[in-house]
Amino acid sequence: MKPIEPSRKPFSTWFSADNIFTGLITAFLLVILVFFLLYPVVVICRLSFLKDGFFTLQNYLEYFSEPRIFRSFYNSMFVSLVTMVITTVLAFLFAYGLTRTTLPGKGFFYMVSTLPLIAPTIIQALALILLFGRNGVITRYLLDTSWNIYGATGIIVGEILYCFPNALFILYTTLSAVDTRLDEAAQSLGASALKTFFKVTLPSAKYGIASAAALTFNLTITDFGIPVVIGGDYSVLATEIVNKVFGMQRFDLGATISVILLIPSITAFAINYYLTRKSYAMISGQARPFIQPSRPLKKWAFTAYSVFICSCILLVFVTVFLGSFVKTWPYDFSLTLKHFDFPSLGASVPIWTAFWNRVLEPGSLRDMIAIKYAPIWTSLLVSLVVAVVGASMTLVAAYIIEKKKPRGEQLLYALSVLPAAIPGVVLGLGYVLAFNKPYFLIYGTIWIIIINVVIANFTLGVLSGTANLKQIDKSVEEAAVSLGAGPVTTFTKIVFPLSKVAFLSTTTFFFMRAMTTISAVLFLVSAQIKLAAIEIIFLDVDGRTASANAMCTVVVLIVGIFLLIMRLTTGSSGLSGMSSSK
Amino acid sequence: MGRDLKLENLTKRYGRLTAVDHVNLEIHEGEFICFLGPSGCGKTTVLRMITGFETVTEGKIIFDGRVINDLLPKKREFGIVFQSYALFPNMTVEENIAFGLKMRKMPKKVIAERVDVMLDLIGLSGWRKLYPAQLSGGQQQRVALVRALAPDPQVLLLDEPLSALDAKIRLRLRAEIKRLQQELKKTMIHVTHDQEEALSIADRVVVMEGGQFRQVGRPIEIYKNPSCRFVADFVGTSNFFEGRRTDDIVDLGKRKIKIAQNGSGINEAVSLSIRPEHVEVFKKGEPSAVDEPLNLVPGRIEVVVFQGAAVRLLIEIDGDEIIADINEKEFEQRSLKRGNEIFLYFPPEAFLVFAEGEGKT
Ligand SMILES: Nc1ncnc2c1ncn2[C@@H]1O[C@H](COP(=O)(O)OP(=O)(O)O)[C@@H](O)[C@H]1O
Ligand SMILES: [Mg+2]
Repeated sequence: MKPIEPSRKPFSTWFSADNIFTGLITAFLLVILVFFLLYPVVVICRLSFLKDGFFTLQNYLEYFSEPRIFRSFYNSMFVSLVTMVITTVLAFLFAYGLTRTTLPGKGFFYMVSTLPLIAPTIIQALALILLFGRNGVITRYLLDTSWNIYGATGIIVGEILYCFPNALFILYTTLSAVDTRLDEAAQSLGASALKTFFKVTLPSAKYGIASAAALTFNLTITDFGIPVVIGGDYSVLATEIVNKVFGMQRFDLGATISVILLIPSITAFAINYYLTRKSYAMISGQARPFIQPSRPLKKWAFTAYSVFICSCILLVFVTVFLGSFVKTWPYDFSLTLKHFDFPSLGASVPIWTAFWNRVLEPGSLRDMIAIKYAPIWTSLLVSLVVAVVGASMTLVAAYIIEKKKPRGEQLLYALSVLPAAIPGVVLGLGYVLAFNKPYFLIYGTIWIIIINVVIANFTLGVLSGTANLKQIDKSVEEAAVSLGAGPVTTFTKIVFPLSKVAFLSTTTFFFMRAMTTISAVLFLVSAQIKLAAIEIIFLDVDGRTASANAMCTVVVLIVGIFLLIMRLTTGSSGLSGMSSSK
Repeated sequence: MGRDLKLENLTKRYGRLTAVDHVNLEIHEGEFICFLGPSGCGKTTVLRMITGFETVTEGKIIFDGRVINDLLPKKREFGIVFQSYALFPNMTVEENIAFGLKMRKMPKKVIAERVDVMLDLIGLSGWRKLYPAQLSGGQQQRVALVRALAPDPQVLLLDEPLSALDAKIRLRLRAEIKRLQQELKKTMIHVTHDQEEALSIADRVVVMEGGQFRQVGRPIEIYKNPSCRFVADFVGTSNFFEGRRTDDIVDLGKRKIKIAQNGSGINEAVSLSIRPEHVEVFKKGEPSAVDEPLNLVPGRIEVVVFQGAAVRLLIEIDGDEIIADINEKEFEQRSLKRGNEIFLYFPPEAFLVFAEGEGKT
């Protein structure tokens, strides 16, 4: 008896629901990433190399031949390298204390050290100015010296504080994963503690150390918030781009400097990415054995060190908080709320205006909340949308990449990882150049900002998503399919519930980034659309330092409240594993 | 004729590696088939092609008279049980079992009844509200088993379902699978690398090596009548001798042995195998009236291993080690001990003879 052959076999296989589902989503993600990530960068490159439609290196010649401008390149490299070395050493020692000694209060130290992640980078600069600036409480009030921290020193100190948790996260993971029994074996063979450290501990963590260093370099060279506030005349690449564009309307020069900034930034990112993979590949997966009680001297030395670092970080927050509540820093320390009566005007999103008009009586309070606080409400709205959209999109992208592996998967992966290599300022400028067209309807609305922030932070979402999905046994999904579940049901009923923890922490991450990011959206705000983090800079530039502090305080409080809500409702702390690494 | 499953020249290639090589098999409805073979021989690949999770390179899978090569996995309605259980960790036992029924859009009441029946089947009714992580490995696998059975699949496929379990639980669950199969009369394909497991539960065993089916047959046939040296070696325990045969005499180099079968050629290379339980042991000085004095070989007991009812002796002859099993009573009566000089007797008719090129003569 001859078996019955199905008639249209290739057709039915290819057009299965699963393939359509995967194909459509892959295509959608690719279009989004190409249009909102690749295209703006290409536009920048094109502008930097073209004059009147012809290829030219004139912009680059102009840049490199004018010493005053070229200095910004040198300056950027200098502060980034110095920050890189100091941060890596400090973070390594801190991570060593947390993972290899029996110092008390590890959880507390770790938590405090991650605090800088919840604030805009600018907070470091604001605090340093309050402490060591022209009117710094230490420089002016205590020491009465004319020295102040503006310039390279300020940038470096600020960047160290900001990069610390990011470097720490990598080093902490590395050191807690490397088998401590190696250390014990070396010591049992008669090696001294110091020798063990240099011959065993340090080499075994070398990839982690190098990748933390590369990440720090990348974060520093791409940062805009700290140098713009504390840099003074000391110009770096990121501030120079903004300078050329805002100050001189020279988009071509801005684009040129952007390309120049892209080179070290992409290099550092690539090194970090490559080494992180390598370092994680060495993780043995064995349970961490019991740590020998440390000798008292070692224990107290590391405790004192950890207390010092945490005090510095806390000092930043306390200073800015205080700075926003005292009358005239550093002369009159009586408390006031007047700095929270922001001078900035208007630019509300209609939804919010309508909302406040409904809930509040007309009067000065309503004016303050609805108009003066408008940037804060806009930021909050943007951040909530970014959190949901960003976390969902990256989870779906991660699912496609990790589990479906369609055609074009590698391109999708490459584009998903790329954003972390592109400095926010560069991407922002790219958006202006690419999308500032009358026919591009979402330009000038909050949607372009939302897209920008989602794209700029796509990398971490996708990486944490794929890391999580790798842990889901392939058989679990196959079990669902064999029981009759389609692709959508499998995703919503099985994959998503199993990714909930990762999803929530990615949500938190996107929210924090949207509330605190400055460089990426700097070019996208306007007289109609203002954001809280950007207002900090404008207030500071206007000389309203105290209000800048107050705005920063508000941002930190909103992020803090969000974290608290996430923690209370889901029981998981959003901060763990939320640095820009992974 | 029921809903049979037929593999025709089924082949799977991964690049240059041929994981499954032109295999043919007809599985009847209600039959319990076991794929047996060492790790990497292609068992999982055959199973995954049948389930539809792996594409077919060449050949056909025919079910109920239809070629199903390109049918989507969910349309095949085959149940699968995985080595790793693969229960949905976010659902309770009950929800896990109901999942396949919900996917088939059955009415709530029918689902509830069916879940009850399934839970009774494995005696886990008290556990319905628990999550998989709260169950032991054996319990999880039992839930996985009924989860796959709940939608009444056409065929149930089990890929090494017992490998991750402790030895004791493995035996219990093995018996339970067999019982379920007999109760439900479901076609089942069970994959394992454990020959004892395969022989004890299957109606028919398929012995695989290097992507090919070496032998298909009832367990007793496979054991008594292995088709090639590989099967004789892999299934059960065998003693092997290499030598050259002329007529019914095999020259092992150090000695000659008589066998029951006449060869065709002269001086042809063969391997002989004999099961340990067919080797007879005589103490020196004991009367040993045997049919074939040529096959009486002196040796010494090197190791004695008690295996419950049987005793396994490792005996050295001519520098080689031979395994002989004798029953415990006999062992006691003869008061055999380590170090005893003894005679071994190999009955000529107990030898299986394989030509060097694998096949049996
Ligand atoms: N996806 C794959 N890609 C390449 N080779 C594979 C793949 N899956 C299995 N193989 C190879 O096919 C052979 C058979 O594998 P498998 O069916 O898993 O064996 P078994 O289940 O008998 O242990 C092995 O050599 C294995 O390495
Ligand atoms: Mg297998």
